[in-house]
Parts: sequence; C-alpha cells; structure tokens
Amino acid sequence: MKTTLALVAALLSLTLVTGPAGAQGKPELTVALSSFSTEVLDPVLGGHIVKYYLSLMFDYLVGVTPDGQPSKDGGLATRWEPSQDHRRWTFHLRRGVKFHTGEEVTAEDVKFSLQRAIGKRSTTGYAGPLRTLIQDIETPAPDRVVIVTKEPTLIIPTYLSRSLSTEGMILPKKYLEANGDDVFARKPVGSGPYRFVEQVTGSHIKLTAVDSHWRIGAPKYKTVTFKLVPEETTRVALLRRGEVDIADVSRDRVAELEREGFPIHMRREEAVLTMWWILPRDNQPTKDKRVREALNLAVDRSELAQSIFAGKAEPAFVPMGLSWSYRDLGFKVTPEMHYPYDPARAKALLAEAGYGGGFSMDVYAYQLPGLPEGRAFAEAMAGYWQKIGVKIKLIPVDYPAFRKNWFDRATPGAVGYYNIANRDWIGTYALIEKMAYSKSKASDVVNDPEIDGMLEQVPRQTDKEKIGVLMRNVYTRLRSEHYGVPVVYLHSPYAASKKLGKWTIGTVMYDFFIDELASSK
Amino acid sequence: MLRFVLARLVQSLAALAILTVVVFVLARATGDPLQLILPMSASEEDYANARQYLGLDRSYVEQYLSFVGKALTGDFGNSLRARRPVIELIRDRLPNSLKLAAFAMTVSLLMAFPLGVLAAVRKGTAIDRAAQVIAVLGQSLPTFWVAIVLIEVVAGRLQWLPAAGSERLASYVLPGFTLGWFVVAGMMRLLRSGMLEVLDSEYVKLARVKGVAEHRVVWLHALKNALIPVVTFAGIYFSILVTTAIVVETVFAWPGLGRLAYEAITSRDFPVIQAVVLTTAAIVALVNLSVDCLYAFIDPRIRYAG
Repeated sequence: MKTTLALVAALLSLTLVTGPAGAQGKPELTVALSSFSTEVLDPVLGGHIVKYYLSLMFDYLVGVTPDGQPSKDGGLATRWEPSQDHRRWTFHLRRGVKFHTGEEVTAEDVKFSLQRAIGKRSTTGYAGPLRTLIQDIETPAPDRVVIVTKEPTLIIPTYLSRSLSTEGMILPKKYLEANGDDVFARKPVGSGPYRFVEQVTGSHIKLTAVDSHWRIGAPKYKTVTFKLVPEETTRVALLRRGEVDIADVSRDRVAELEREGFPIHMRREEAVLTMWWILPRDNQPTKDKRVREALNLAVDRSELAQSIFAGKAEPAFVPMGLSWSYRDLGFKVTPEMHYPYDPARAKALLAEAGYGGGFSMDVYAYQLPGLPEGRAFAEAMAGYWQKIGVKIKLIPVDYPAFRKNWFDRATPGAVGYYNIANRDWIGTYALIEKMAYSKSKASDVVNDPEIDGMLEQVPRQTDKEKIGVLMRNVYTRLRSEHYGVPVVYLHSPYAASKKLGKWTIGTVMYDFFIDELASSK
Repeated sequence: MLRFVLARLVQSLAALAILTVVVFVLARATGDPLQLILPMSASEEDYANARQYLGLDRSYVEQYLSFVGKALTGDFGNSLRARRPVIELIRDRLPNSLKLAAFAMTVSLLMAFPLGVLAAVRKGTAIDRAAQVIAVLGQSLPTFWVAIVLIEVVAGRLQWLPAAGSERLASYVLPGFTLGWFVVAGMMRLLRSGMLEVLDSEYVKLARVKGVAEHRVVWLHALKNALIPVVTFAGIYFSILVTTAIVVETVFAWPGLGRLAYEAITSRDFPVIQAVVLTTAAIVALVNLSVDCLYAFIDPRIRYAG
C-alpha cells in the first residue's frame, strides 16, 4: 500500500512541475502538424515536401505576397524583366544577402540552385516542365541572372516563386559542393530568417532566428519548432495546454474549438475536390456527354458541403477549376455554371443516352492528406449515383494504388478524386497541362483535341490578354463537356492559441507565412 | 548446456534468415514507393531517373542479395523517404522505445505485484474481484481508445500531464500507463495463480505452523517462488513492448521504433521496413533465447529434452 501511495504522490508531483506553458510573451513559436510529408530538408531531393519550415530557412528567387502574387519585396530578386521576344528573363538580385554560413548570395548560387532543381534527380513538382523549357542560365554579373528559354514564355517568374513548389529556393553552392547532398540534407543552410538547429525524425524540426533579416527585420521569435503530431486529439490537447501555438485541425473540430475561444484561421478554398473518370472513354458510358452531365446533376453539393465537410466547403462547378486563377484570367462565374441538384433530370439524361436501366461504375475510395473525409465522401457520392440507377462498386484502396490504375489506364471508366491545391493562373496552367492535355499521356483525364490546341498556345503566348482568352475558353469547354465532377472547394482550418496575435495565413498551400507573425518590421 | 545454447542460437539465426526473404517480398508487395515520393506532375522520365537513383531499377534478386549482404555488416541502406542511412534512424528511435518500454514495464510491475498478491491472499473477496476487473479492462479496452481518452481528459481537460513528446519524465506517464496497463492484466493473473499454488504448498504451511508472521510468509517465502513464471513473462513482454508500441507511439507522438515502422509502411520505405522488422525480430529472438537459457539453467529437464 505504501508503494502505491508513493507512486501516486510521485505522479502528482510530476503534474505540478509540468503545468501548461503559457504562449503569451514566450520567445518561441511552436507549430504542431499532422504530417511533415517526407521530412527531408533538401528542397530538391525531398520528394513530396511541405514548405512550412523550408520557407523560413530559405529565400526564394521570386517572393510572393501572402495571397500568392509575385512580389519584389519578398524574394531575392528585386526586379525582373523579359526580353522583347520573352525568351530571356533577367533577374536582378538583392545585394548583401548572406547565407547562414556568412557567404553572400550571388548569381552563381542562383544558377547552381536552378540547375539542381531541374536536374534529373530532382523530385520537385515542376522540375519536368522547367527542364523542358529552360535552355540556359547565364550569370553576367554577381547580382544578375538571365534565364534563357527554348520558347517565348511568361511563366518563369511564377514557377520560381514561393507560390508554387520549391524550385525557386536558393541554396549555397559552395557549401553544397564542399559537403555534398547528404550533409546538406542533415544540416541545411539557406539565407532565410531562421537557421536550422536540429531535426529529430518523427518528432520535430527546430529553427533559430538570425539576428536580423531583410524579410522581417529582427525576428520576434527566437526559435520556431515544428512538431510532428499525427493524432488530432493530441494536437488539440497540446493547444489547450498552451504547448503549441498553431495546429492543423479537421473541419469537424472547428465548432468545438471556436466555442472554447481558440481563433480559427481558415484558408478558404485551399483546394478543389474534383472527381474524374479514368481514360480511355471508348466503350464506356461516360463517352456520352449526357451521361457525364447526369452524373454531375445527381450530386447535391450543398448537402455534401454541410454534412461531410462540416459546412467548411462551397460547391464547385468547373472540372479542375482553380478559383484563385479566375480573377487573373477574367473568368466570370455565372449562375448557369452551377450544377443544380436535379436527380430527375439526371435520370432523364441517362435514359436519353440509352442507359435508362443504369450501368455499372467503379468508385475508388481513399483518404488523402488534407482530406480525412475521403472515404466518407466517396460513399456519399456512391449514394447519389445509386439514386439515379447507376450501380456503384466502391473499391477501398490507398491513393497510390488508385494512381497506378489511373496512370496505367488499367480500369477505364472508374472514378477517382483529388483535393487539388488552389493556385493562380500559371499554377492552374501547370495543373491543367498535366490533367487535361492529351500529350501528358498517363495523367490526362480529358483527351479533347480542342483543349489540346488551346493549351499548346498558352506557354508560347506572351500577351496576357490572349492567355486570358485561351484559359477562359479551356475552362468553358471543361465545364460544357462535363470532363469530370467538380464537387466542392474546401476550406482548411488551422487553430491558433488564444494569445498568438494577428496572423494572415495566406493562400499558398503547405506554407503558413509565419513571416508576418515573426516580423518586427 | 553449451550444446543447448548453440542449438537455440542456430534456430534463431535460421528464423532471421527466413524472415529476410519474407520481409523483402512483403515490403515490395505494398506497391511502388515512387508513387508516394514523386509529385503528381512527375513524368515517366522522372520515374525512370528516380528508380535508377534509388537503386530500384535492379532485379529483385540483385536487390535482395545487396540487402542481405549489407545487412550482415549493419548497413541497411538509405531510407527512401528520409534520405538518411536507415541505421541512423534506428539508432535515433530504438532508445526512445526502450525507455518507454522500461517505464511501462515498471508501471505494470508496480501495479501487478500488489494486485496479484492481494488477489491471491484475499481470494474471493472484493479486492480479488476488483483486481480481476482491472485485469479484464486492461486486456479488453483497445489501446488507442485508452490513449485518446487519457489525452483528452488528463492532458487536454485537466491539464495534469503532457499529451505528447518524450523530453520530460512527465511525458512518460500517459503512454507508459497505456502500454503498461495491458501487461498488468496478464502479469497479475499469472502472479495470482502462482501465489495460490505456492500458498497451498507444504513448506508454506510449515512456515505458518512454525509461527512465521503472515506478511513474511506471503511477501518473502511465497512471492519468491511464485515469481519465476512472472519474470519470464515480463522478459518476453518487454520485447513485445519495445517492438509493437505502434499505436501508442503514434497517438502520443512518441518518436520510437513503432512509429518508424508505421511511417515506413505507409510510405513504402522498403529499406526501413526491412531494417525495423529484422531489428525487432532480433530483439525478440534474443529475449526468447535468453528465456530459454534461463529455463534450462533453472530446470535441467529442459536441457535434456532439448
């Protein structure tokens, strides 16, 4: 009995020394995330990486505002301009910027970084398109870089900006050449406002502030720690205890946390949830446009947004339509574009197409990062389609298994989905070029010669107005031909501690724009 | 005795050798890791490049021989996901798992001993029944449920203990208790039945007749003899705690071997899967070998039968 009492006393004494830490006024910022993706700190060789911590350690060639617009204040390039023929892009570099090793950032570092980013071993999102596009990189002066492209293009600055992937992150050439990739991945060196301190894989990544940085002045937080906490209950408990300042939370947890007074920072329309049919369409019911329209009309998007996504979603209406690009492109959304929920009309269309008795369709069901509702959503979609007579076979898989089928075209006519990250018009072009351009082969889900023709003109076009016309027409055709089932735009919630202060989370996926929080400017 | 130990050692090594084939095949049966590593926009050329860079373009036989050959020297290759030597990852994580397992085992011993002994001494009373309930709950409540309830209530609402991490001693309490409770049940039952048997033996009766105080009879004479099967059980369970704490480590964000295994499986990180399975198998084999040897040492009949 004495032993038991002693144990209880010991445990109680532990609780006394481990009370919740207050977030107010503390010199560190702690972020709890459900996933670090690959946890590799090399922006180029890391596979599918997230930028939350990388964008604090590295500077991009082209900076962006929190809403993803290229900015001359946020990147190493203070200005950039194309040649008359739009085949030579000159970037003027900020002077006096230093890597954490003390070496100054020069044009050679930029050239080295870009060559590495588009090299054969690169796993970055847009290494392929950039490799195809870039012919040469010149360094006429230490503060000047010229990127020569094979075709006239407008897309170079955006592709090398913070709004897309990590190709535009500038790395220290001398350090990498002297130490190699492995050392760099373990002890990365950049020129950002925070330098690397330690990484414990599966646990955390810790960064410490430089004395002063051109992006944010003297950083407000001395350290920033990213903790990997896969279980949501644990993240929320850490938030309640004041042990973390920011945590990603699920949509259905928002109401509870708001009731408790935790500020929720909602990244609105962070992704569009779109479904598509695996090609080829030959001999498939979905070859008939009326069937594709019927499958769209059968879905009650408002109900889905409320019931599956806890009201943190809005109906979508254009397949692969990334709404952040609409303003850039002058794409006007009209009421007619919204799909009404009309199962009667859907049934009639199926009957007109000769499928009054229904047909069989496979629907893959899987979870995705940022989409914990994945399987429930797929089941709901199956329910809607069953109501109009389509016989659905739900196939639970993991996403890579679906992706293999999709790329191999192993199961034509089967349906899959993805929560595609929202982005500006150039990012949208990059996405559509992969998913709606037949020459992209494996990943194409559209196969429409008319759209192919328009997409081929976009990268060569240097008149923004003409690009706008082309992209608007692409969107219009994707919608009018019902090339997929646009479902909802998803809002992504992030909970903050009650004392965090003003923070604009921005619109760039996998990036928190902690710059504003940490800024003393 | 030496012959017995050698025979058991050969058996363990043979099991590990067979396991290398099994884990090599099963790891690859989960699918192509590049589907998870490369971005959606990756081209066929990107896939070919990555396959070559990561050595996945070689034949399975070549990959297997390379894996076994290097594993014999302690080199398990590089993680496909973390791009670091696998041995480094295991070196980082294994101590955390050992520490958590040691804490959990301590918790379970501290709970199981008084409960098991009291349940035997007070057989059929409320204490015995309460101990049985604790045992049944420990074995029947799903570990993930216990973990989440503890985090939600003890860490989140009452704010008594940390919800995650491994930096402070207090961080060990909730995951240690969650893991340990499961073990308490088996250990307590084993101790209870052992104690009942011993308490009924002639030498205990003799001690009582000679006037030895009851607490000395129970805690010194009887408990000592009832301990042998419990120690064996604890040894085996310790290896299980080190190697199978996947759920607890994931829920409590504990950077241990279990989570490493989970992360490796979900990202199809073949080298890490192979290394973790072989490491855990080696730990289990080592513990089993030690237990076998201990048994043989204690009971000569086992040696002769073996």
